[in-house]
Amino acid sequence: MFRLDRINIVFSTSRTHNATQIRTHTPQSTARFLCPSVPRSFTRTIRTIQPTPRTRTDRFNHGAGLPILGASKTAAFLRKEAMLPLRTGALAIKKGMTAIYDPTTAKRTAYTVLQLDRCQVTGHKRRDAHGYWAVQIGCGTIEARNVSRAERGNYAAQGVPLKRHVAEFRVKDAAGLPELGSIVTADLFQEGQYVDARADSRGMGFAGGMKRWGWSGQPASHGKSLSHRVMGSSGASQGSGSRVHPGKRMAGRMGGEQQTVQCLKVLRVDKENGIVVVHGAVPGPKKGIVKLQDAIKKPWPQVELSVGVSKMGSTAEALESTI
Amino acid sequence: MSLSAPVRPLACIKQAIRQCRIELQQTRRYAVPATEAEYPSLQTRYPPPTPGFRPSQAIKQNRFETGLKKIPVVPPPRSTTKACPDPISILTNKQISVLDPTGARTRLFSPANPERVQPGDILVVRLRTGDPVSGTVLNIRQRHQPIDTAILLRNQLTRVGVEVWFKVYSPNVEGIEVVQRAVKRARRAKLYYMRQPRHDVGSVEGVVKQYLRQRSGGPLGSREANTGRKTGSKKGRK
Repeated sequence: MFRLDRINIVFSTSRTHNATQIRTHTPQSTARFLCPSVPRSFTRTIRTIQPTPRTRTDRFNHGAGLPILGASKTAAFLRKEAMLPLRTGALAIKKGMTAIYDPTTAKRTAYTVLQLDRCQVTGHKRRDAHGYWAVQIGCGTIEARNVSRAERGNYAAQGVPLKRHVAEFRVKDAAGLPELGSIVTADLFQEGQYVDARADSRGMGFAGGMKRWGWSGQPASHGKSLSHRVMGSSGASQGSGSRVHPGKRMAGRMGGEQQTVQCLKVLRVDKENGIVVVHGAVPGPKKGIVKLQDAIKKPWPQVELSVGVSKMGSTAEALESTI
Repeated sequence: MSLSAPVRPLACIKQAIRQCRIELQQTRRYAVPATEAEYPSLQTRYPPPTPGFRPSQAIKQNRFETGLKKIPVVPPPRSTTKACPDPISILTNKQISVLDPTGARTRLFSPANPERVQPGDILVVRLRTGDPVSGTVLNIRQRHQPIDTAILLRNQLTRVGVEVWFKVYSPNVEGIEVVQRAVKRARRAKLYYMRQPRHDVGSVEGVVKQYLRQRSGGPLGSREANTGRKTGSKKGRK
């Protein structure tokens, strides 16, 4: 819509020759006064700016070379396409840490020992039904009496055994969904590949500022009274609003949250005992559950999607036949 | 009874008592449950428990969802944690068998070995790269994983105290030799008090040099004879 108040009305008709005084009216009324019979569209001049059509995406930066941003689900999938792994991950139990010495260089490398225990595909998440693609993996076992009837019914409907721990692993598309009930073994991961490990970190309880945020505290002596590890000041005074800013770092509960350690190299794999040995440390205490999946910041491993995933069938026989 | 055997007056009595005792034992009577005829009101109306019955079978909590539709449960697959409950020890033992094939290094620090290294001993460590390092053992650090066993050696090189940690299974450590055992067993596991000048052993270079000389076929005098000798004493010197 063009704007009348920005227009200099410069046109010549016979009527205006005698018009010497123009009263100060509103722009619309001025135009109408000067040329009442002329429709408004003709009051356009060379100084008008062609209106630009505005689209929904114009709220964001756009131009050559920039990705087209969108708020739709399809746009979200396109954004995440490169980051979603092609295949499922596995749940493992953190058994502990030890070290290995290289015989030639004598270099000591610390590693974490993880064990896959009864890892099985217990469900799927599909884009058409749930909005995304994911594999639900269960590990461990639990007594039937300790599982609610609702959950037990769900497991029976899927045709899978009861599981103690269950977690989802997002995958890129339907090709990464193994068959329901498939047993995931340690050879899903290859020696030399990189994995991301996600686990709940060890809880530190109610931790003070020095532990939680790395504050340095105050001197131990020289007259300091009862304030060696305290916060000190919680911010500026009147100039900062006479308040404590929201989000001010203070003492509080620390730990017990999910943490991700990326790009851990897999050093050793033992399929029969379900052992995966990764370089470095993994969050959480011993006996904690760790989610392992292909590292998103490394090239995807060049293996077939069926590697490490075997059919359930009659569970004992199927597993022994594959080992 | 033959006339040749001597007749003892009390032998018959002893025999008689013995017989009585045996008869009593044979006829000893135990408590018998009351029969139906004797006490009819006390008789049970249900049959006695079958052999192999456990009272826990009758406890109510063992009855699982009586009256509800049974939900089928798929049996779980083979458990790796049950098959291999301690993978870490398997891995560390595999490592140790590679790094210490003869087992000598393990025996040197094994708690079952009476000749093991103890805090207070003087050791010399031969490295793959570099000069041998010697010193008094202040601490033998044994963690949960035996592969990370380490020793702390303290020495004084030109009056400067030097402490070095060594991982005993490191491939860099060619050999560990005990130069001199502690005279008296230290009453501590960690001899950090030796950092004080009062308790500091000082330089062990002399002892090590002597040991190495003797080992390579030096002059007379065994190592054991010199152990426990105060420096400067001439008693007993050959």
